[in-house]
Amino acid sequence: MIRLSTILWTLAVVIAGYAMFQVKFHVAKLDDELSKLNRQIAATREETRVLDAEWTLLDDPQRLDQLNSVSLKLQPIAPSQIVPPAQLDQIPLRNAPVAGPPQVASARTPR
Amino acid sequence: MKRPPDGVRDDPCRPRHFRPQASAPVPPEGPAQDAIELSHTRLLITGALFLLAFLVIDARLVEVAGFKAGDVRLAHNHVAAKTVVARANIVDRNGVLLATTLEAPSLFANPKLVDDKHGTARRLAAILPELTESEIYARLDTDKSFVWLDRRLTPRQESAVNALGVPGLQFQGEGKRVYPEGALTSHVVGYVGIDDNGLAGIERSFDQTLKHSDQLVQLSIDVRLQYILRSEIAHQVNEFKAAGAAGLIMDVRNGEVLALTSLPDFDPANPGAATAAELFNRATLGTYEMGSVLKIFNTAMVLDDGVATLASTFDATKPLQIDRFVIHDYEPKKRWLSVPEIFEYSSNIGSAREAAEAGADRQRAFLTRLDLLHPPAFELPEGTPLYPNPWRPINVMTIAFGHGISISPLQLAAGASAIADGGIYYPPTIIKRPNGAAPDGRRVVAATTSAEMRQLMRLVVESGTGKLAGGSGYLIGGKTGTAEKDAGGRYETHKLLSSFVGVFPINDPKYLVLVMLDEPHGDRNTSGFATGGMVAAPAVKRIVMRMAPIVGIPPADENSPEIRRSLMVGLPSPQGRKLAAN
Repeated sequence: MIRLSTILWTLAVVIAGYAMFQVKFHVAKLDDELSKLNRQIAATREETRVLDAEWTLLDDPQRLDQLNSVSLKLQPIAPSQIVPPAQLDQIPLRNAPVAGPPQVASARTPR
Repeated sequence: MKRPPDGVRDDPCRPRHFRPQASAPVPPEGPAQDAIELSHTRLLITGALFLLAFLVIDARLVEVAGFKAGDVRLAHNHVAAKTVVARANIVDRNGVLLATTLEAPSLFANPKLVDDKHGTARRLAAILPELTESEIYARLDTDKSFVWLDRRLTPRQESAVNALGVPGLQFQGEGKRVYPEGALTSHVVGYVGIDDNGLAGIERSFDQTLKHSDQLVQLSIDVRLQYILRSEIAHQVNEFKAAGAAGLIMDVRNGEVLALTSLPDFDPANPGAATAAELFNRATLGTYEMGSVLKIFNTAMVLDDGVATLASTFDATKPLQIDRFVIHDYEPKKRWLSVPEIFEYSSNIGSAREAAEAGADRQRAFLTRLDLLHPPAFELPEGTPLYPNPWRPINVMTIAFGHGISISPLQLAAGASAIADGGIYYPPTIIKRPNGAAPDGRRVVAATTSAEMRQLMRLVVESGTGKLAGGSGYLIGGKTGTAEKDAGGRYETHKLLSSFVGVFPINDPKYLVLVMLDEPHGDRNTSGFATGGMVAAPAVKRIVMRMAPIVGIPPADENSPEIRRSLMVGLPSPQGRKLAAN
């Protein structure tokens, strides 16, 4: 009987040890994954910061003003261009559809 | 181990062939028995302690694995430890970046590993323009194993250094402060030093917050309005060759500063290259004798304290002599003027007489109530106001038209906002107030006084000194100011400080626009004049016309009967004509 219980206990220890190392390796793997993800998050955050900064540079009012003065030549909205809601129906509608594709589209070379 | 019985001493020196005879174990007695019992007890206690320890461990295991399986705190420390904490961002009220931190590599070397120090120095000098070859060589030629070479390289420089392939050169990531809007918000945002310590502006006053928390700092500034304000003021500075200028746009309903500019300004990325004049913030740190714009406060005071009504008249027939001082009018009317006329034509004589009627105590109390005699609590460094001590009768008279007291443009704007917006004073702030949070305001004048002041401010634009701010399609009201600058005890006629405070829409005030030019010079377009009405009022008009569509203020027909009636100063003047301009 002592023999049997020894064998059983040995078996239990081996199984427990195997299971423990399985869990340990699994945790180590998860840990690796976690730190990898963390690095990715940090890198993505940094990238977002750079893109944010770049967007702000591109969206800088001074730059937009310069670009506008070169290509669009838009003016600030004059008070005469704004009508109160009550007079909305007095704005004439554009009846005839615009013929042909818009100029900007045709100016682009098709790819 | 079996202890040999007493008397049988297993002598290691005994002869090999001799064995002591086996004998029946003798039960120990005396001291030996005591010793055995003691060791039994010790063994029992030790065993019990071990058992207890294992039980505790078991219990904890069951607890962690069984009952706290979902607890994320255990995993959390791990994640938090790895996030990089960089200096936090500063953004405008719409979330546009004003200051951010980007990773930039800094170059250091281990000189012991660098073989060809001369060659390395020569090639590095070609990549790093801020260092000369001899400087680099001097740093490399040392016994130390760590020297900084250059900090915060551009990505291009980094790849060029890597391409050299010199062993012993290494990079260390460091945060680099970047200001995407550049000079536009330089006086508000400020700048940092090489070690990321805030040295000016918000960077300085919120240094600890920015350093130690991930929370961004959101300002009340709107970059779009800031650009409009700065470009229009810069236009005036160029046109009238002014030495400098300041301007701000304020939300009169809660004291938020929406735009704040001071010219000349500087590039916050390179503050070392800026002059003292460029670094000086005229809008908050500078205090000036602002001139006639202070008649807003003087008139509000006499109306609110019941010293005078809109129908009261004061003698402005001839210059007013007090001791050795003579108070003149810029455009003398040489007759008795009513309170509205004094405001409309900006009569110094009339204002001085109004203030004299009110007296020093009232004046001082009123200005204190409007936070004009001490720097208000503001997030940027504040100039300390200068005022006379003792407060003599002559001071009372000059302060009435804005001489003899120095305040900052910010104080002026906060005070004028209170007068225009129903008489409630809100402490100015440059940090965005949380949505819907009502700031603590305090009443400084009665609502009726405020309504009368709005009518008077409209009168100035319709037919008084601020005519050039009119005709915009939006209802602007305001007050001009032209002060002669104090040059060592006397006032100089040709060094002016010209300003205009505009409030719009004046029938339901929402925004205040202040433009102040320092030493403008009149040109052909202004017939040589450089007064506030000539140089500052047109700028306010253009700013309002550009900002109104952005902030969603509809244009108003200045000639519609309802609006004229609501803004009419409805009292007959001494000549019997209606004061509303027609």
